[in-house]
Amino acid sequence: MKRAEIITALVLMAIAATVGLEAVRLGPGWGDSGPRAGFFPFWLAVILGLSSLWILAQAVRDRSARMASPFFPAGALRLVLTVFLPMAGAVALFELVGFYLTSLAYLLVYIRLTGRQSWALTVAVSMLFPAATFLIFERWFLIPLPKGLFGERLLPF
Amino acid sequence: MDALLNLTSGFQIAITPYNLFIAAAGVFLGVIIGVLPGLGGTSGVAILLPLTFTMPTTSAIVFLSCIYWGALFGGAITSILFNIPGEPWSVAIMFDGYPMARAGRAGQALALAFIPGFFAALISVLLFTFFAPPLAELALKFGPPETFAILLLAFSTISGLGRGSPMKALASAALGFILASVGLDIVTGRPRLTFDVIILLSGFSFITASIGLFGIGEILQSAEETLEFRGAQGRVGLRDMWLTVTSLCRSPATFLTSTILGFWVGILPGTGATPASFMSYGLARQYSRHPEKFGSGAPEGVIAAQSSAQAAGIGALLPMVTLGIPGSPTAAVILGGLYIWGLTPGPTLFVEQKDFVWGLIASMYIGNVMGVLLCLFLVPLFAAVLRVPTPILTPTIILLSAIGAYAVKNTTFDVWLLLVFGAAGYVFKKLDYPLAPFVIALVLGDMTEEALRQSLIMSDGSLLIFLTRPIAATFLAAAAAFFFLPGLLLLWRRRRGRQVAAQAWRRP
Repeated sequence: MKRAEIITALVLMAIAATVGLEAVRLGPGWGDSGPRAGFFPFWLAVILGLSSLWILAQAVRDRSARMASPFFPAGALRLVLTVFLPMAGAVALFELVGFYLTSLAYLLVYIRLTGRQSWALTVAVSMLFPAATFLIFERWFLIPLPKGLFGERLLPF
Repeated sequence: MDALLNLTSGFQIAITPYNLFIAAAGVFLGVIIGVLPGLGGTSGVAILLPLTFTMPTTSAIVFLSCIYWGALFGGAITSILFNIPGEPWSVAIMFDGYPMARAGRAGQALALAFIPGFFAALISVLLFTFFAPPLAELALKFGPPETFAILLLAFSTISGLGRGSPMKALASAALGFILASVGLDIVTGRPRLTFDVIILLSGFSFITASIGLFGIGEILQSAEETLEFRGAQGRVGLRDMWLTVTSLCRSPATFLTSTILGFWVGILPGTGATPASFMSYGLARQYSRHPEKFGSGAPEGVIAAQSSAQAAGIGALLPMVTLGIPGSPTAAVILGGLYIWGLTPGPTLFVEQKDFVWGLIASMYIGNVMGVLLCLFLVPLFAAVLRVPTPILTPTIILLSAIGAYAVKNTTFDVWLLLVFGAAGYVFKKLDYPLAPFVIALVLGDMTEEALRQSLIMSDGSLLIFLTRPIAATFLAAAAAFFFLPGLLLLWRRRRGRQVAAQAWRRP
């Protein structure tokens, strides 16, 4: 936990520094027509920098039991990754083949491999979900979902 | 009397068949969102927000607010029957609701949540109906310095009243403001913080951020533990309802104090139903004649937690319509919706968008009646939602989140952002960084910056303008009090604790 606290605080400080530099470039002070574009971001960067410095100092000094406990409890990392990695894969696929084919593939893989549900249930859900979203979003609420770079050619509608 | 007239015209708008259908759909979806653990009201509203893009604005606000009312009711079902909180605000309902269910009194526990919850909502809507117009009238006189001061007040209550480190709340708010300022500068039109990436010119959307941080973050966090739903069966009988009503009439004190406290906490910017329910539960236990019964099935515990949460939900929308600042994280997402529909939240709504405001207020009455009826009679149906296996629920929620993020600007970039925000939300949650300040800052960022810059232009750069205008100065003083009070109280208690300890040490 301690290491995670320190890394997060350092990341926040890095963000503060980047934003601060950009704000200085934009002009943090007073211009012809009042505060310039960098004025607000500059002071935000100062606040973020100071508060994350404080958090960092606290984390370094803190010797409580919470700090000593690991960020991922035993086995937790694997469980979190089994949700996160298929999701990341789906997002990548989304870009290529659009929403409907992605959801079909993602549901098939996730429900069967990760969830270990029966084939019948897997196939039923994987078919029904894209069909339902098509009706609700595309037909009723007129929100077109992306078909991706190749999806247009692969889908009949 | 003006309010009554306006309310009548509001009802005429709200009871058109289309709006009634929209309200019913919203409440129904809301209850399901409430029942599902790992899908909170805030992310639920954010995921469903794109559905409102093609609706008329009044129907859109009816839909979103009814989801909120439904979720406020629904969370109690999971807490009482399964001992798992369906929503953060229903954690306190578990303490006494689940022991009652274990003892075979599930129906009574549910009735104790729904019926007082409904009456709490009703009282709050009445307060809302008569408080909102004068408050909006007062707010119409506000200039930029007052607006900025009240925004500061909003942020100081969020960071001061929140549990955990105020520095983390501050960092979280600053980060939200920074993301809000990415894109074109609102005054000069110059691109800033975009680092020459074209897609960043349009800035970050709060929808993507809130779905990612709350929704995906919650899913990742709940992936750590495998939830098993082994719960009590429950159905609310007429006898349970009758018992609840008679016990409410016999001892209304807990109910009334929780309702008023909840409404007040709801109005306070950024706090919402979750702290309200905890505070009322604590208060009810402290002033109970038999506090030892709390935690093992005290009816007052359920009443206090649920009525307070529902009153707070209504209260949270009061500053949103009158001042343009959200009373809770969920209200922040709804407020963001107003911007998307092309409305300016705040007191001008009462002048320019009468139909919208009064349609919303009328739908609060209607939505809560629908909510209590749905919950009382369909508990078994909603509880059955939890029998859907998690391996099916998780990917479908993720896919719906992806649609929500995509539909904001029709870019797949937002879906990638969803992953980033999801991972960040998971880390922030584990490290106790509060997420509410972040999302609220992201929604209110432009408004805050504009108010600050205009005030400074008015005063030629002097910060004294916030102190010389009486209303602004009052808000600033209140902001300072809210921000520093919790810290000072802690210090004082610690010092007193030390003195007591020292005396105790001297005595023997």
